[in-house]
Amino acid sequence: MKLPKLPVYGPSLWGLGGSLLLLGGVAPWIPVFPLIILVNLLIFAALAYSLNLITGLTGYVNFGHVVFMAVGAYSLGYSVETLRWHPLGGVALGALTALVVSLGIGAVTLRFRGVYFAIASLVTPLAGLNIVLVLPALDDGQGIVLNPAFEPLSWFYTIWIIIAAEVGLTYWITHGRLGYGIRAIKSDEDAAKSLGVNAPHLKLFLFALSGLFAGAAGGVYAWTTSGVFPYAAFDLTFSLLMLAMIVIGGMGTLLGPMIGAVIVNLLSRFFLAIFIGTQFIIIGLVVIVIALFIPEGIVGTLRKYVPELRRILE
Amino acid sequence: MPEPTLLVTDLAFGLLLGCVFAVIAHGLNLIWGVAKVVNVAHGEFIMLGAYGAYFLNLWFGFNPLLSAPVDAAIGLGVGVLFYFGFLHRELRGKESIGLQSEMVTLVSTFGLALLIGNLALLLFSPNFVGIPWSPGFVRVGFLQLPLGALYVGVASVAIIALSHVFLSRTYLGNAIRAYSQDIPATQLMGINPTSVAAIGTALGFSITMAGGALLSVWLPTGIHPTMAALYAPISFVIVVLGGPGKMWGSLVGGISLAVIIDVGQAFVGLSLATAIAFLTLIPILLFRPEGILR
Repeated sequence: MKLPKLPVYGPSLWGLGGSLLLLGGVAPWIPVFPLIILVNLLIFAALAYSLNLITGLTGYVNFGHVVFMAVGAYSLGYSVETLRWHPLGGVALGALTALVVSLGIGAVTLRFRGVYFAIASLVTPLAGLNIVLVLPALDDGQGIVLNPAFEPLSWFYTIWIIIAAEVGLTYWITHGRLGYGIRAIKSDEDAAKSLGVNAPHLKLFLFALSGLFAGAAGGVYAWTTSGVFPYAAFDLTFSLLMLAMIVIGGMGTLLGPMIGAVIVNLLSRFFLAIFIGTQFIIIGLVVIVIALFIPEGIVGTLRKYVPELRRILE
Repeated sequence: MPEPTLLVTDLAFGLLLGCVFAVIAHGLNLIWGVAKVVNVAHGEFIMLGAYGAYFLNLWFGFNPLLSAPVDAAIGLGVGVLFYFGFLHRELRGKESIGLQSEMVTLVSTFGLALLIGNLALLLFSPNFVGIPWSPGFVRVGFLQLPLGALYVGVASVAIIALSHVFLSRTYLGNAIRAYSQDIPATQLMGINPTSVAAIGTALGFSITMAGGALLSVWLPTGIHPTMAALYAPISFVIVVLGGPGKMWGSLVGGISLAVIIDVGQAFVGLSLATAIAFLTLIPILLFRPEGILR
């Protein structure tokens, strides 16, 4: 079977980019309440795209992604409360700190593969939480109370820029020379290495990028809430939600994280309205069913079984 | 520098706690060793074991030592269900488990963890509960040790020793070990791989849930659906410290971890000691990926 040649700029990039542009254009006229819901959705979509960079593209299951989010949140809290910066500076600082932290963690944990990487990543949030609890600079783990101005439009445009950068980068990585190497690592790392793919560098590059964006998104998250508290910031539930999003949408795809974020957010809001707690039960069920029966997720499965959609979903 | 008597007390408590840690990690070790997959929902089953002990105490007045066998029996059934629900599709007809199957089991058991943890929050009350059982103290020199913890420590070592005897001295145990080493050769010997893997998984679950019951002695007011988030990582670190698939590894790993936490907190405080205990995982994985034991 001859596969159609991939278009240079696929319809899904146009679609995503177009809807983002549209959203950005109409944002000033959206009423406050829907805008806040939209900002929350976009924060989770940004986190899902950042996790997609490492877990989706290379297949390394990262349970500890919340660490970078917490680092971003704490950087924002520290720079706003102690250094008296503008929150935008805090978001930038969060991204930078998370980049440094992810380089440090990745340099060690990316040497492990499969379940060993997953376990090492599961342990890092707990270690991070226990370290933050004793840091004097962060008030010995008392948490930081923020009194930010209520400015949903600034939140929106910050997270909007982050998502646009992530979508562009994901597209550039998957459709360029790097993409071949990364797909080779996902299929068979030893074979990829023997063909001259610099696997350690590529993995560390992706891990650092995912940390950078998760830190920025975590900073925006802290900006929209009224403070940073250790047990809430290192809550593994965030990691699990991000993972659920990319599993449901489709790992390693361009559209998947956005679709997953929308589905998980809709499920959360719908079942939260019925009874608090049921939303996680439903999300857990959906993740089990998807992981066992269609492990490629919604986008991956459509692309696999409906060849006509391949052109659109690339 | 803390006082020597304090250090000896911490060491004794660390040893006792380590035995319980060992038995909750032992269940994971068995599943990991036999089926070569990691159950991310492990902590949730420890939590269910602890709640089993709590409800048996509430309804029938059982103490945790009596509840452990009941939990173990329930665990056998749960383990068989888990095997056929989650692992059978990935393990059936395969000679070794690939990265794709590994990812599927990691993600699907993580979904299970989310499901069980939140169901438990919904069904059991979100309050901390505990079992009022305290058989008194025993004095050893200047040490005052709680008898409950002592009994539980002995029971934990006995469970690990029994599982070791079962795996090395009985036909079924040898079949399970053979399966974990070489699946095609096991089939050539006329052993049904599915039933052996299912029995091994069931055994792992029964030890996990019994371990949850024994752990409840250490948690007089600490049984809660979210305890899974602490005891699952503890179990993972213990298994890696001792070496996956090594039966005495759980005991060595559990005692080392508990001693690091209990003695370390005398020097640097509980938070930092916990962080250090978790981070020992990294150098062990880097320099001795096969675990402390040879």
